[in-house]
Amino acid sequence: MKRRSFLILGSLIGLSSTIKAKSPDSFGKSFKEVEATIRAVQEHMFPSGTELPSAREMNVTKFLFETISDRTYDKDIRAFVIEGAKELQVREKGRFASMSPREKEKALRRYEESSYGQNWLSRILTLTMEGMFGDPVYGSNVKEYGWKALHAFGGQPRPKNRYIEL
Amino acid sequence: MNETVFDVVIVGSGASGGAVAYTLCNAGYKVAVLEKGRLINREEFSKDEIAYARRDIVTPSLFDEYHTIEEKVDGQWIATPTYESGWSFWNGNIVGGSSNFMSGMLHRMHPDDFRLKSKYGAIDGANVADWPISYEDLEPYYAKAEEIIGISGHFEAHPFEPPRSRKNFTQPPTKENMVVKLLDKSCQSLGVKSLVTPRAVLSRDKGDRNACYYSNFCGSYGCSSGAKGSAREALLKPALATGNLTLMSNSYVKKLHAGKKDEVEYAIVIDAITGKEKKVRGRFFVVAAQAHESARLLLNSANRHHPDGLANSSGTLGKNLIFSAGGSGQGELHKDALKEIKFEELMQTGLFVNRSILDWYFIDHWWDGKFKGGLVEFMFEHQNIISRARKNNEEEGKLVWGKALGEKLVKRFTLQKSIRFEIFNDWLPNDNCFVSLDPTYKDKYGMPVGKLRVEGHPHDLKVGNYISKKCVKILEEMGAKNIDASVSAAPPQNLVAGGCRFGTDPSISVLNAECRAHDVKNLYVADASFMPTGGSVPYTWTIYANAFRVADHILKAL
Repeated sequence: MKRRSFLILGSLIGLSSTIKAKSPDSFGKSFKEVEATIRAVQEHMFPSGTELPSAREMNVTKFLFETISDRTYDKDIRAFVIEGAKELQVREKGRFASMSPREKEKALRRYEESSYGQNWLSRILTLTMEGMFGDPVYGSNVKEYGWKALHAFGGQPRPKNRYIEL
Repeated sequence: MNETVFDVVIVGSGASGGAVAYTLCNAGYKVAVLEKGRLINREEFSKDEIAYARRDIVTPSLFDEYHTIEEKVDGQWIATPTYESGWSFWNGNIVGGSSNFMSGMLHRMHPDDFRLKSKYGAIDGANVADWPISYEDLEPYYAKAEEIIGISGHFEAHPFEPPRSRKNFTQPPTKENMVVKLLDKSCQSLGVKSLVTPRAVLSRDKGDRNACYYSNFCGSYGCSSGAKGSAREALLKPALATGNLTLMSNSYVKKLHAGKKDEVEYAIVIDAITGKEKKVRGRFFVVAAQAHESARLLLNSANRHHPDGLANSSGTLGKNLIFSAGGSGQGELHKDALKEIKFEELMQTGLFVNRSILDWYFIDHWWDGKFKGGLVEFMFEHQNIISRARKNNEEEGKLVWGKALGEKLVKRFTLQKSIRFEIFNDWLPNDNCFVSLDPTYKDKYGMPVGKLRVEGHPHDLKVGNYISKKCVKILEEMGAKNIDASVSAAPPQNLVAGGCRFGTDPSISVLNAECRAHDVKNLYVADASFMPTGGSVPYTWTIYANAFRVADHILKAL
């Protein structure tokens, strides 16, 4: 399976121009348009009151933006993160972020029925976990709350910089 | 201004390039090592899972450099670039190569691995060939590698354990998790002998390399104490200390130029930072870029003297690429069902499992038949936190999130620990496993990329499945839950060899028994490319040993 087609298949709105490489500035602008939706999905996946820290307290949306903006991140998947959020916005007529938790659950489970939606949700889940359980140097996993919840801690020495910048 | 002419120019700074550089620099020769990646020093490594395990940072971005992989789809060979599939065939492109990131479970090949065809006969559809050297030729170099790299272990006699010239290891085994008590007892009750795994990790200080500090994150990460026997720590640093080594990082080798029919004159090198091209001249050249890339470089070095690729008069360059066949399995040791040891002991982090099984290396059974088997390694599931958190988060085809996810993860991390096995058996060389140049795709330097056809032989799966069933029984005996095992025909991209076979007949091999090109008198290939068959063990110890052997031959030629 070719990745590009894997990322595109099943999308209702099809592939927009964001899949093409863009300057960091324009990517930042594209992200702004879907930020509230992505944040709402992350907060639904990691709500408060569970055995894990909540998305809200762990800066995971900022982490997600920063990590997919970095040059080390796959540019096709970077575009897919934006596209998939747009797709969700279109499906839910722009209401997703303001839905009740019960409505959100229904909307995401509906989205998950398509392989495209499942892929995107899985990607958001992964990116959120990267923040939550990655080294705090990346700005998430605040006070190691993610590690403390699992009783699992990163090894020594810990990174001083992100992405092995020497 | 006269250009420097090095005595020896080595392409690649991994295990084999390191061993050659170490030997020649210590003998007083001027050596250049060309490495396309950058240098990361011991004190710059960290246990950053995002950087080392989840992004392409110590390997090239697949959009810049990649391979195309040919797989059979509906009877047709279809090549897919790895930037499309995400299936990277790079293994650590920094100074020291992939040896920086190995887990370091090393084994010697068995004497019969050198004469597989004579011993077990031909297999239909497989190009098995005996080696032109014997175990006895390589044994002194296995011993040399053991000492210089610093391989720790404990020798126990076993019918399939290769003979050793030194009675036991200088370095005792690294510390072990108490789970070995349970594992050993379970093996014993099944009549299976568990052995201590030799490991390229120091248990005691050695020179300026400090003993292992049991970080819990060994494989996939660079070592911060110097305990891991990477080419960078064990070979290149001492080579640099001689003053005879010029280490050129960020140096991509585009071609070797053979101006004369039987002699390479210079390497054409691109500075990976500036894009500037230069020539690096030498009296001798050693290719050590990892099997699939070494063959690619020689194919890309075709010229009027060598129209089909450098050192390819036999037409076999790139053919008979091999990987390691086998599979793996895993089971969970649960707190509420743990036998023999305390749960707190099991959960102690950082300590090794250090157990391997050689009982099925050769099978000769009244019912099962007589055939070559393989090696089994036991280890804990990799302790990466993000990847463990991401595993099995689906129930009935749906992703788990919210409260249910929290409960699942906390349970997985605090009430159980997973133990796994890995099987290594011969990947039989065959006509549908080779590297050639892709006619369409080029890397960012404008050079044709390697096209890898990676089909295995059905026999490999048969052997893997045979051993896997026995390993599952061990996990069951240990009381493991949710046991899952799979034997796959997919090649492990970090265990690659072949493509430049060595042999005595120049019409069917690329290299002679000394790993010098039959066609080009000053060209050697020192990495795993030379191997006609790979044995049923990870290649690394053999790569180190053979590269020390090749270095001795180069010394004689210099």
